[in-house]
Amino acid sequence: MGWTDRRVELAWTSRAFVLAAAAAVFVIPLAGAETQSALPRPAEAAKGGEGGHAGHQMGAPAAPACLDPLPRCAATAEPAFGPDGTLWLAFPVGEKIYVASSRDSGASFSPPVVAATVNGGVIDANGEARPKIAALPNGTLLVSYTARPEKSYDGEISLVRSTDGGKTFSAPAPLLDSSGQRFDIFLLSPKGRLYAAWLDKRDAAAAKEAGEAFAGSGVAVGWSDDAGKSFAGKKILMDHSCECCRVAAALGPDGQPVFAWRHVYDNNLRDHYVAKLSSDGATLAGGRVSEDEWATGCPHQGPSLAVDAAGTWHVVWFTNGKARRGLFYASSADDGKSFSAPQKFGDDARAPSRAAILFSKGKLYRAWKEFDGATTSLVLQSSKDSGKSWSAPRTVATTAEISDHPLLLAGKAGAYLSWLTKAEGYRLLPLWREGAAAAPQPALAKK
Amino acid sequence: MKVSRARLLVGLMALASVMGAQAQALDFKPYARGSFSELRKAHAGRPLVIHFWSVTCAPCLAELSDWARIARERKGIDIVFVNVDGERDHVKAGARLEKAGLAGAVHYGFADDFLDRLFFEVDRSWHGDLPFTAMVDAKGALVTVTGPVDEPAIVVWLSKASP
Repeated sequence: MGWTDRRVELAWTSRAFVLAAAAAVFVIPLAGAETQSALPRPAEAAKGGEGGHAGHQMGAPAAPACLDPLPRCAATAEPAFGPDGTLWLAFPVGEKIYVASSRDSGASFSPPVVAATVNGGVIDANGEARPKIAALPNGTLLVSYTARPEKSYDGEISLVRSTDGGKTFSAPAPLLDSSGQRFDIFLLSPKGRLYAAWLDKRDAAAAKEAGEAFAGSGVAVGWSDDAGKSFAGKKILMDHSCECCRVAAALGPDGQPVFAWRHVYDNNLRDHYVAKLSSDGATLAGGRVSEDEWATGCPHQGPSLAVDAAGTWHVVWFTNGKARRGLFYASSADDGKSFSAPQKFGDDARAPSRAAILFSKGKLYRAWKEFDGATTSLVLQSSKDSGKSWSAPRTVATTAEISDHPLLLAGKAGAYLSWLTKAEGYRLLPLWREGAAAAPQPALAKK
Repeated sequence: MKVSRARLLVGLMALASVMGAQAQALDFKPYARGSFSELRKAHAGRPLVIHFWSVTCAPCLAELSDWARIARERKGIDIVFVNVDGERDHVKAGARLEKAGLAGAVHYGFADDFLDRLFFEVDRSWHGDLPFTAMVDAKGALVTVTGPVDEPAIVVWLSKASP
């Protein structure tokens, strides 16, 4: 087995701390290389010496680096469907963020294009914090990423745009004029407003400056009505979120965004909060999902959220608290004033983790990882009755090596499951066709 | 390009000193998938403590000297330290261990990117929380503890294993 360099994110509290189970892999052995990748090698990479970046891997052994502009060399791949049904994929490799497109739902991809290059910093590229892409109604592509210094988590969110169908991208522009932000996400409303949310340390930094204690980070929201050229709002609307878990978001039937995040409550308890953005964008209002009594620290494992056609909120999350441990689901039909009792799912004997939830065409889907010591499986369930009952769990994909978080994605035809694995590369599984994802390893890339 | 002999010599000396420093750094044996059961086999029949730590975990660093004291006082227990930071932090990790008086102990370093698997092999409910300690008694029974060295579960186990 080859020695590999890993980047492990760490955070701690007074008693114990947690390191991310999701490592951003910049150098990985080439075992299983060249398998099933749907992405052709771009001419630029062939002549540009993409393999020459191993120099920034301090202390890395002489193992061959995987720095090809291909998803299998990336730790994360973020998908988005454009208005014409084109699938766009953003994935970071080394110091670059690439974008590739597919007109056949992931069966084949265009040559990747460099959307951004980060010099002198680290790109957040793990399951929780990763480059994002939004494909806007007017054809504009917006890619965001967080870069931070090698030895700190003082991030800065940058945006690049393409108005020529992904052929070229603008120079990076910072989302804010001060640093301290990470975990950016986007959400496109039916009216064309693009919402952004992120975790923001500006208030934490101010408190530190004043010598005051401050728990966690803040949840900030902004929005753009000019296809990502400029963002309004950009204010921290609620402080004391957990600082190292992803934020989840979903649009309600009224087009207003709802956000879910891990919050830091009194005594360092880190349970979840879900809140809806007011129509003027000035406030977030909602409620606490559960009391799991997890005081350990930051688990680097954020929630996922869906809102159904009736406006009911559905949240899935991971906890390791005194009150409950594992993956859980709950819903709220009253805008977060109350939540249903947490309902456990996943097989505890198989380390269930990284749950995602989506509402698409009248159905709820939830997917998560399970691990038996050798094989990681993606397990899927669906519900036709707003989460009251769920189909039997079934394994829809597996891998024997490291993998990205599973993501659920709504397309025009229905729901998809998006998954990047080191051994198999990128996979997009259609979920709406009964039995379509029943085959253990649908090799869409080979179509 | 011209390089003066003197400059070349300075360069070679600098290189030699870097290599010398590396040679003196603590030896971290690679810890990868399968290592946990290999360690258990290698120490079968003797009480074994495997302590996982990181240079970026403040509570871990604060208690390294406590672990050094335990290693001195309880000779009947085999203690193995596993640094989870990866190779790029080995020099820093080595310096911390030397400062804590653990230069002579047995050290491993994470050398596998499949972290889920490394955690699972030790304890299927472990998600990487640190400090983390796995304790195997002479009969092979495993106990795992997330938390500091003064956790009652660790204190009691140590006194039973090496009264």
